[in-house]
Amino acid sequence: MVPDRHKVLIANRGEIAMRVMRACRELDLDFVAVCTEADRESGHIRLARELAGDGAVYRIVSYLDANELFAVADAAGATAVHPGYGFFAEDFRFARRVVRRDRPMEFIGPSWWVIRDLGDKINTKRIARSLGVPTVPGSDRPVYSELEAEEIAANLFDFQAAQGIVDGVVMVKASAGGGGMGIEEVGSFEAFRSVFRRIRNYAKRNFGDEGVLIEQRIFDFNHLEVQVVAERGGKAQVHFGTRNCSIQSTGKQKRLEVAPGFAPDVIPYTFDASGVLDAITRHSLAMAKEAGYDNVGTWEWIVTPRGEPFLMEVNTRIQVENGVSAVISRVHDRPVDIVSEQIRLALGGRLGYSQDDIRFEGVGIEYRIVAENTDNRFTPCTGTITRFAWRPHDWLTVHTQVPQDRAYEIPMEYDPNLALALVWGRDLAEVRERGLRFLDELVLEGESGGRSEAFYSNVKYLRDQTGGILEF
Amino acid sequence: MLNIKELLDEVKASPYREIVVAAPHTGVVEFAGLKPGDQVHGRRGEFKEKPGTLLAHLTRERNRKPITAPEKGEVESVRTELEGQFVEAGEPLATIRHFLTRKEVIERILQEALFLFRAPERAKYYFVPEVDQKLKVSGKRSVKVSEGMELMIVSRMKRETPLAYSGPEGIIHSVYFGRGDNVDEGAPLIGVCPEDQLTVIQDVVARIQSEWEEA
Amino acid sequence: MDLERRLRDLKDRMTYIRDIFGTREDDSIRLLEARLGEALEREARTPGSVSAEELARLDDLFSFSERKLDTMLTPMDRVRIVRHPQRICLKDILENVYDNYTEIGGRGEFNIDPSMCIARAYFSRRVGEKVVRQMIMVIGHEKGHGEAYRNGGSAKPWGNAKALHYMKVAETENIPVHTFIFTPGAYPVEDWPGAAQQIARNLYEMAALRVPVISVCSEGGSGGAEAIGLADRRIMLSHGYYSVISPEGAAAIEGGLRGGERATPELIARCATRLRITADDNLQNGYVDRVLREPPLGARPHHYEFFRELRRELIQATNEAVSEVKSMKLFRAMAVRASRTDEAESIFMRWNLSPSALNRLVELRQRKYRAMSRHARLDGTGLFSRAAAGARGTVDAVHSYLRYDLLGRQKKRLDAMFEELGAEAHLVRHKLLMPLKRSMDKVLVSGPEGRRGVDPHEELTRLSCPEDGACLSGSQWAWISPRSQEDRTVSCPNVRTHHCPDLWVPDLLGDFAGVCPNCGHHFPMEYRWYLENVFNYRESREFNRDLESINPLNYEQFDLKLDKAKEATGLKSACLTFETTIESVEAVVAVLCAPFRGGSVGAAEGEKFIRAAERAGRKRQPFIAYVHGTAGIRIQEGVNGVIQMPRCTIAVRRYIDAGGLYLVLYDTNSYAGPVASFLGCSPYQFAVRSSNIGFAGPGVIAETTGLPVPPNYHRADHALSRGHIHGIWDRREAKKNLHQALLTMGGRNLYYR
Repeated sequence: MVPDRHKVLIANRGEIAMRVMRACRELDLDFVAVCTEADRESGHIRLARELAGDGAVYRIVSYLDANELFAVADAAGATAVHPGYGFFAEDFRFARRVVRRDRPMEFIGPSWWVIRDLGDKINTKRIARSLGVPTVPGSDRPVYSELEAEEIAANLFDFQAAQGIVDGVVMVKASAGGGGMGIEEVGSFEAFRSVFRRIRNYAKRNFGDEGVLIEQRIFDFNHLEVQVVAERGGKAQVHFGTRNCSIQSTGKQKRLEVAPGFAPDVIPYTFDASGVLDAITRHSLAMAKEAGYDNVGTWEWIVTPRGEPFLMEVNTRIQVENGVSAVISRVHDRPVDIVSEQIRLALGGRLGYSQDDIRFEGVGIEYRIVAENTDNRFTPCTGTITRFAWRPHDWLTVHTQVPQDRAYEIPMEYDPNLALALVWGRDLAEVRERGLRFLDELVLEGESGGRSEAFYSNVKYLRDQTGGILEF
Repeated sequence: MLNIKELLDEVKASPYREIVVAAPHTGVVEFAGLKPGDQVHGRRGEFKEKPGTLLAHLTRERNRKPITAPEKGEVESVRTELEGQFVEAGEPLATIRHFLTRKEVIERILQEALFLFRAPERAKYYFVPEVDQKLKVSGKRSVKVSEGMELMIVSRMKRETPLAYSGPEGIIHSVYFGRGDNVDEGAPLIGVCPEDQLTVIQDVVARIQSEWEEA
Repeated sequence: MDLERRLRDLKDRMTYIRDIFGTREDDSIRLLEARLGEALEREARTPGSVSAEELARLDDLFSFSERKLDTMLTPMDRVRIVRHPQRICLKDILENVYDNYTEIGGRGEFNIDPSMCIARAYFSRRVGEKVVRQMIMVIGHEKGHGEAYRNGGSAKPWGNAKALHYMKVAETENIPVHTFIFTPGAYPVEDWPGAAQQIARNLYEMAALRVPVISVCSEGGSGGAEAIGLADRRIMLSHGYYSVISPEGAAAIEGGLRGGERATPELIARCATRLRITADDNLQNGYVDRVLREPPLGARPHHYEFFRELRRELIQATNEAVSEVKSMKLFRAMAVRASRTDEAESIFMRWNLSPSALNRLVELRQRKYRAMSRHARLDGTGLFSRAAAGARGTVDAVHSYLRYDLLGRQKKRLDAMFEELGAEAHLVRHKLLMPLKRSMDKVLVSGPEGRRGVDPHEELTRLSCPEDGACLSGSQWAWISPRSQEDRTVSCPNVRTHHCPDLWVPDLLGDFAGVCPNCGHHFPMEYRWYLENVFNYRESREFNRDLESINPLNYEQFDLKLDKAKEATGLKSACLTFETTIESVEAVVAVLCAPFRGGSVGAAEGEKFIRAAERAGRKRQPFIAYVHGTAGIRIQEGVNGVIQMPRCTIAVRRYIDAGGLYLVLYDTNSYAGPVASFLGCSPYQFAVRSSNIGFAGPGVIAETTGLPVPPNYHRADHALSRGHIHGIWDRREAKKNLHQALLTMGGRNLYYR
């Protein structure tokens, strides 16, 4: 399927790096992995050594230094770069540099101009509007002028009121801030101005840039996604169904995803759920076509309690939760792996099937197992994993960089994600039952600061959430 | 009471510190022709504007960057076998034997005399903006700390949480971490000098000033 | 005993000659030395053996030889003369030329700046029966015969500020100012009020100082001289020099020396000759009005006859300046014009002037400078186009007059009325309609964006072109540097303090406009970038393109260098002037381009700048000076360059006085003369981040002051904290900020619109 013999530089770590390595093996491609000092014992490095030998691993100073990646690419003779997710995945300059160097390589992801244009929220919304696709209000870019800010805030409050949300809340945050500093919530338009000024002054004092973002706080909305897959050249686009990612931690981090996005036959919704799923897939594909989208990507939507979908943004990369869409998808009645598809298509492979050849079967759940204290604002937990084991089933896949045969220290530079578990069932009832079974059988022990009771994980939280999935 | 003499003797027994100069990032290395036994120096000049002795060049993505000696000392070894090779980040390139300066000795011995506020966990640490400002503007000794005072921000896993000081009241005498450094659990963050002990500390400094000969 | 004293005198004269001629050998000197040596030896062996006649003969021989040697003086010898501790200094002049004086603010070392001396003095004049005292403000450098704390007459910024203060006092008191220039150059420190900026302020004020100013120049070292040198009459002492730079400085630049290296005496002497710094050179070029002859080998304190000459000369010059503008007293005015200096004492006229006479005085002074240095540039514009341009200028001026002065005033009144009415109406509408609008919006809400109307940039909604080359400028910039095509990385200079990652050149010079995204450091950028991205150059109208830099002094090898610069840049001088529109605001822009001889200013650049300021004035448009970089005054043009400092400052002053908005934007490196004059005098000076602004480079400061210069001493942020500039702009926001500045500083009372 792939014309040339390629060598892929995997510019990422952890679970996604491992999945890309396996996909490369599947496609019979060579690969090179990188690791930092903190990651030397990480699962992805061990897998890389196992699959490709010691020579395929290069030590670099940081995953966030593009120069390191390119230096390694040259030294190793890589011909393609897979950015994974996070890091450089949505950095159009990185993607551009990959193809514009004196020794160009293939970028495994959408073309750089697609990343640039759809990475810009304002531009995305313009395209959406030109196709009659409804979009979410919000500042999209740092706001500096008070007049503009008030207009946006008024828009947001009106929007929430129109969607039947009684106590609408708007978030005002310093665009240069982070880590929970310089964020305030406003409950009414009257209070907005003073909060805006306060945040702006705070931002100016602390970050030197007084840009402020104004967004809505999503309480009662459902968060749905459409998985789009397209071939190079932007000619053929298909979707691999919808996902529901409404269960999130406080920091807007997804913790549990379900595919498909709703279960219209099982759960009584107050609106036409299958109509919503149909609308968002239709809109997403139309936009992908319009934009000449040419790799995998995700269209993110919110669905309001009234059952109206609004486009939030487009993620021009592979996502963590791609697996949950894959488990319910069949192409020509065969299972599909979206990561392999991404690599194959990026390297010039033809799609080879149309939307009609794709069928969806059953329900999938993805659990993200994270070392964090769910009772205390999802605070991450440092420490060592002493035991991590589960019982294998044919309906279960676990992706993890945590080794099963020895203790593993959670590296502190990155998200404390430990594993992704994909559970499949024929219907909602079965997948719930299987999900709970997996979580019950899971053994996860660790210690923090030398004490096992100080170690936290979100397993109990996931179990509690399983009962209510797909309900609105 | 501190036995300064004993501590000093201990330091005098091994007055060297070994500095391993490692590749700060990947790249192709070219050494500057230094041999074991050569003398090198660190940054110099009234404003520290002159860089230290050139040890090697590291070229990455057509950017040829000098690697200079961080401190004064004597070259102990150079990995000349790497000449012209691509090296990975963190690869040791040379080692320098550094004779401790008076200031370093003072810092080392003061660690025994000061109250050390230690890192509760492995993370990056920052001073809260107000303290940071004050440290920058008025110098270290200008900040007074007391029990429960919100002093630092702990940054790990992309999250930042405040950290309150606990220990005796006093002024910040020494800071042991740099911006953006990962600090191990239990490593000292700051040295605090209770105000009633200030004279003792000054005495220690004076003693070392007079007794330690710099090479 | 008298004999002994006369012998000692001769010995001193011999030492002086030796000092002046340095190591040079000459028959006359050898002869003098031999004769004097013999006499001294004889006297030492048997005291009293040298007779008075013998001594008189020896004295005559000395006088004769001194006259002969005087004709052989090289420019470098003159430099040694003016720097000699025996050279007359300001105190000698105050003692011997004026009839009485009081020094203001300073007693030896106890002085804000001992190298700048201020005194009130008077001339006593007999008019018929009465004795009249004519008051004068005397301002000048004091070398103090080599007293160390006088700093050799190198005035500090606060010394120049003091000078300015007392010029203003003289203005209030309506008495003439006499300035005396005895300086090797200004003391190059940046502390407030700043070497460059204070000189600029002085020039700006002197450009329209409403009292007669007479300057006397003995040692005129560049910027330091200009600080008190802009005058109605400029007298130069025959053994003085007036130069763009010290010969040593020129030699250091010529030889490409750095750090502690010294130029050879030969090179220094050659530079002194080439720079054409002598009094006669300057008279010939028209930069001084008169040369006052000194005794052979230069005036020293015992030359009483010389002081009388100087007194006559000063009275004559002041009389001339005054009579030229006095409306009455025609007879005496004619007499003054016809008279020679030696009759000056006999003509008396009052030196205080009426307001209208002062207006004429200033106008004449400004015109006098406007006419200078014509020979030092080449105007390639054809005769016909020049005439056409002249005619167009007149039309513009008439048009502006009609539009702004005659009709404009009425219109302004009307406009103001309408504005008031409009505001009133707006308030009513807002109060009445807003609640209505709110509720309507709520009812009619469809999409959240529905309210905003059609976006005028709808065409931008399409994705940008796929990769087809033209899309390389897919960034927001109209022009990006050709350097951005190279696949390589560079390190940010702040990496040590800010941990900036290495930057890929195409990203850095393309999207980031040469700004480190991590720390905001600005890498240098071509001036084209600003032309296209800030000044809308493509749609501008350039003028005076054919005004060309030449080599007026026939400076050795400079023709070649100049041709090279012209070829490499495609420019004819370092200054580019054009009319443009910035976000619908019309403006005149002058650019100093660093690639052309370091952006140095010579006669052509100065003239272009002046014409741009005049055009902005005629068209009543804001005037923007964008300094991409300037190394200072072009030393190879000598005084032809230096004189651009007062010339351009006067042009700027005229423009501002007429109501214009003059903005300066510094970029990369801006130093020396231009900053110390027509740039530094702007009330609105901004700098692009990471640029350097100052008077002298770190090497020169270290050498002249002996103080270590911290790194980044001249950085824009330091200049801002010192108060030299008034804001720092990010390059990426230069256009936005400029437009904002035009709106906020322009407003109604200014020219544009």
